[in-house]
Amino acid sequence: MAKVQVLNVAVLDNPSPFRNPFQFEITFECMEDLPEDLEWKIIYVGSAESEEYDQVLDSVLVGPVPAGRHMFVFQADAPNTGLIPESDAVGVTVVLITCTYRGQEFIRIGYYVNNEYTDPELRENPPVKPDYTQLQRNILASNPRVTRFHINWEATMEKMEDSENVDPAPNAMLPPTSMPGKAPPLGLMPDNSMDCL
Amino acid sequence: MKLLKPSWVNHNGKPIFSVDIHPDGTKFATGGQGEDSGKVVIWNMAPVLREEDERNENIPKLLCQMDNHLACVNCVRWSNNGLYLASGGDDKLVMVWKRAAFIGPSTVFGSSSKLANVEQWRCVMILRNHTGDVMDVAWSPHDVWLASCSVDNTIVIWNARKFPEIVMTLKGHTGLVKGLTWDPVGKYIASQADDRSLKVWRTMDWQLETNITKPFSECGGTTHVLRLSWSPDGQYLVSAHAMNNSGPTAQIIERDGWKTNMDFVGHRKAVTVVKFNPKIFKKKQKNGSTPKPSCPYCCCAVGSKDRSLSVWLTSLKRPLVVIHDLFDKSIMDITWTLNGLGLLVCSMDGTVAFLDFSQDELGDPLNEEEKNAIHQNIYGKSLAITMESQLSSTIIENPEMLKYQQERQGNQNPNEAQGIGPENQTPKLTNVLNGESLEDIRKNLLKKQVETRTADGRRRITPLCIAQLDTAGTAAVNSIGMKSNLLLTSASKIEPMKALDSRFTERSKAMPGVTSVPLTIGITPLDRVKDSSSVKEPKGKDETSSDSEDKIMVKSIAKRKGEMEGAEVVEKRKKGRPRKDAKTMPFPQVTFLLSKDPSRLTTPIAVLKLPTPSIQKSFSTQVSTDGVTYLEVENEVSVVSGSRLSQLKWSREGREWDVLLPSRIIIAAGSSNVVAVACEDRTLSVFTACGRRLIPSIILPVPMSALHCSGHFVMALTASAMLSVWDVQKQTALVKNESLNPILSGTDATVSQSFLTQQGVAVVSLSNGKTYCFNSSLETWNLIADKQDSLVQCTDFRNCVSAQDALGSMGPLALTQGRNLSAGRLASRLSSTPHHLQQGMTLAFLEKQLSSALILLSASEYRHWLLIYARFLVNEGEAVREGQCHCSQG
Repeated sequence: MAKVQVLNVAVLDNPSPFRNPFQFEITFECMEDLPEDLEWKIIYVGSAESEEYDQVLDSVLVGPVPAGRHMFVFQADAPNTGLIPESDAVGVTVVLITCTYRGQEFIRIGYYVNNEYTDPELRENPPVKPDYTQLQRNILASNPRVTRFHINWEATMEKMEDSENVDPAPNAMLPPTSMPGKAPPLGLMPDNSMDCL
Repeated sequence: MKLLKPSWVNHNGKPIFSVDIHPDGTKFATGGQGEDSGKVVIWNMAPVLREEDERNENIPKLLCQMDNHLACVNCVRWSNNGLYLASGGDDKLVMVWKRAAFIGPSTVFGSSSKLANVEQWRCVMILRNHTGDVMDVAWSPHDVWLASCSVDNTIVIWNARKFPEIVMTLKGHTGLVKGLTWDPVGKYIASQADDRSLKVWRTMDWQLETNITKPFSECGGTTHVLRLSWSPDGQYLVSAHAMNNSGPTAQIIERDGWKTNMDFVGHRKAVTVVKFNPKIFKKKQKNGSTPKPSCPYCCCAVGSKDRSLSVWLTSLKRPLVVIHDLFDKSIMDITWTLNGLGLLVCSMDGTVAFLDFSQDELGDPLNEEEKNAIHQNIYGKSLAITMESQLSSTIIENPEMLKYQQERQGNQNPNEAQGIGPENQTPKLTNVLNGESLEDIRKNLLKKQVETRTADGRRRITPLCIAQLDTAGTAAVNSIGMKSNLLLTSASKIEPMKALDSRFTERSKAMPGVTSVPLTIGITPLDRVKDSSSVKEPKGKDETSSDSEDKIMVKSIAKRKGEMEGAEVVEKRKKGRPRKDAKTMPFPQVTFLLSKDPSRLTTPIAVLKLPTPSIQKSFSTQVSTDGVTYLEVENEVSVVSGSRLSQLKWSREGREWDVLLPSRIIIAAGSSNVVAVACEDRTLSVFTACGRRLIPSIILPVPMSALHCSGHFVMALTASAMLSVWDVQKQTALVKNESLNPILSGTDATVSQSFLTQQGVAVVSLSNGKTYCFNSSLETWNLIADKQDSLVQCTDFRNCVSAQDALGSMGPLALTQGRNLSAGRLASRLSSTPHHLQQGMTLAFLEKQLSSALILLSASEYRHWLLIYARFLVNEGEAVREGQCHCSQG
């Protein structure tokens, strides 16, 4: 069982202008003192089409972590707009928060992000070249997608307890086009679905 | 009886494998499959019990859910004191949960349900040892141990006082172990496995007490679980899936001699779970009728793969009630409320059902004192104190006490109390850190949190600790003001239970046509409140429905009788079934004795016959503790020119040998040096541990009842109650055909246990609690232990027990006397015996122990008792005997 349980992630400063930094207030509980730091990452999915456009916004070490309940705010700068395909700037994409221990990812939290113009005029007639100063980022905070992975928490045991769960990549939050389950395909999500937050 | 299916108790349609009601009756836990993990849920009991609470939206239904198990949870069990919850799952783990008092409500992050956890249960311990799915977990009486069993064929006994310490791993099953139950007396633990055996293990030395295979020989490993149960009086053990005449049964095993003469029959498919009601009942005294003293009885619920549930009273031949079609899939677990009147059942179909009985239906539950008096009567001691002295600290015995303590703590800390109780529903985090509320902290967290750069320039955040985990709280609390239910003596005399006596269906004794059908008689689906159950039925209707139920049963039985001619065919077929049972072939040695051994008939000893084990097709036993050694017997393995050969196979850590014998093998026993087998043709063969025959077959006058090996010694107890002990290395007889007549005459006791010490001293325990050994130099039977001995109850030598021998000594004496000794120490505290009298009794007792250890040639125990004796003499200033002590020590 995981020694670290993520109890809550609060999305701060949301919705906010596109260029504002991301802020996540993360609360987690640790069962026993961790000898090593946790590593948290925020990954912005630039385009649903390819992982190529994924940007690691920042990675941060968190520690020391004694047994108990802890919280911290993870702030990371907004994505580099130069790396985002112009066609994908507006619309729905995904931001991921991952946590690894001893180089093994044990949790991946995904949020849908809707980037849209606040100005109705621009909404009707979006410019060909996205105007990031006018874009608003809205994270669908109420619906995180959490994937947990079984990892080896002990340093001594080299062998994984459950090898089939080791590599999270295939199970990782899937690109929006192939998002499984209940959520509607992101591309077809009605525009106002974000407004009802 | 009222029946309710609370539809809100579910795992979103996923199977529920286990259910257990908290000992204080306010909540219950379910375990099963979650979305992509195992799931444990704690539910509020009140909405199940009361309709108004179910409707009241301010009363939470779900108290806490835990998704920490990585795979399906197969079993959840509350500790007897209610402080802990243990869960075992397919992720090979056992988790122990404890309520975290001061952490506010929270949700499971990322789960689809938005329900807040009202109570916080935190995993305080993960027990890793099993290499396969954990199928069942069980807390021992008084929560001294936690046992878990697994598909890795083992049972692990964890020290519940010092998790994750392992006390012992019980190996011996050769199939998936799917059920566990502790003897309420604390002497045994029983396990049932897919290897078609039920094994009973002693808690004294963790060795196998008995291996029961006969009722399971026809069983296939088709059930997910095999949850067996021990009756609250300790007298009966009831197995899950067993077979009798090709019909599925729940086998009743008597504690006395592990006899398997009775079973619960009628389920159409394998029995998955049996659960005894924790209460012992007596007949309800009706107003107006003259109060007649009636025998107390037990109540047992049986659940099956056939989706039906039957509830039996041991005072009735037929089930009290049978409910068909309660679920869409197999029943997986059953739990009773502590008051014995309520019952929760869960099923693979993901639903639970609650049955509510009235005292008119079940009877008057005995109170704890009466129950203790029964135990006192049967075992010579009250269970309430059995283990107590063994524990370093006193533990809370009952939920009421626990509640009292919680209330007290709650008063001391109002912040804490706020989190409890239904009125506080708004999920507010009331944790206070240095006078700052969590809200304040959150506002400034980004500014206040410490962020540094590591040597390689990376950001490093020191998280803010908002709550410490209360791991210190696991220490046991002193039981202040615990009312003494530690009664050793009780004024009211209660007759020992005679329940189950020739009741139910003794194996094929009753008419087959009736025997196998009581449950299959379809009681038409009664109150099927399924799904629509958010509203309970009005009470009046319930009563009538329970009446009509009985009528239906009677009617259908009558109808069945009318069809008896039709049952003829079935009956004939049954006669031809291969497995015979205890009743149809009662002890063949009786006839044998008469016909072939007339010389024996002249003596009255023939009366003293002991049971002989029946012949099994195959069985295996574990022998010798150093290096796991197995003896496997397979009878009639091959037929060579008309003669049937039987095979004895010996294996130790990969090495093995086998030997063929011309006759079927009845008993096999072995030590690290020798192996002995008794055959059907009354021969006894002895082999070395390497498989070489030591002596030609010994011809016995009568069949063998019990056979033991220890070192180079072989002990044989025959059906005519004659004892022989041989030293096969020196080829001499230590005990030659000595009769058990002196110890058996004048009592109706039977031999309950016999064994051979390492030094070749034969020890025989009787069902009346007395244990004897035979001294070959004096040629006498010597009483070495007596459970009724009043000396034991009144001795007090705890001042003389040093820390290192506080645990007692291991050896034959301790094995026979059990924990009575420690019970005595507590007894002395309660009794008001004058000091000089107690001193005298203690002296007498210690001297008895010394001489017993001496006659058993048990060196370590002699030393143990001699040290205590010497210390006692010094403490009490007994100069004269002290001198004697020096002499004997010299």
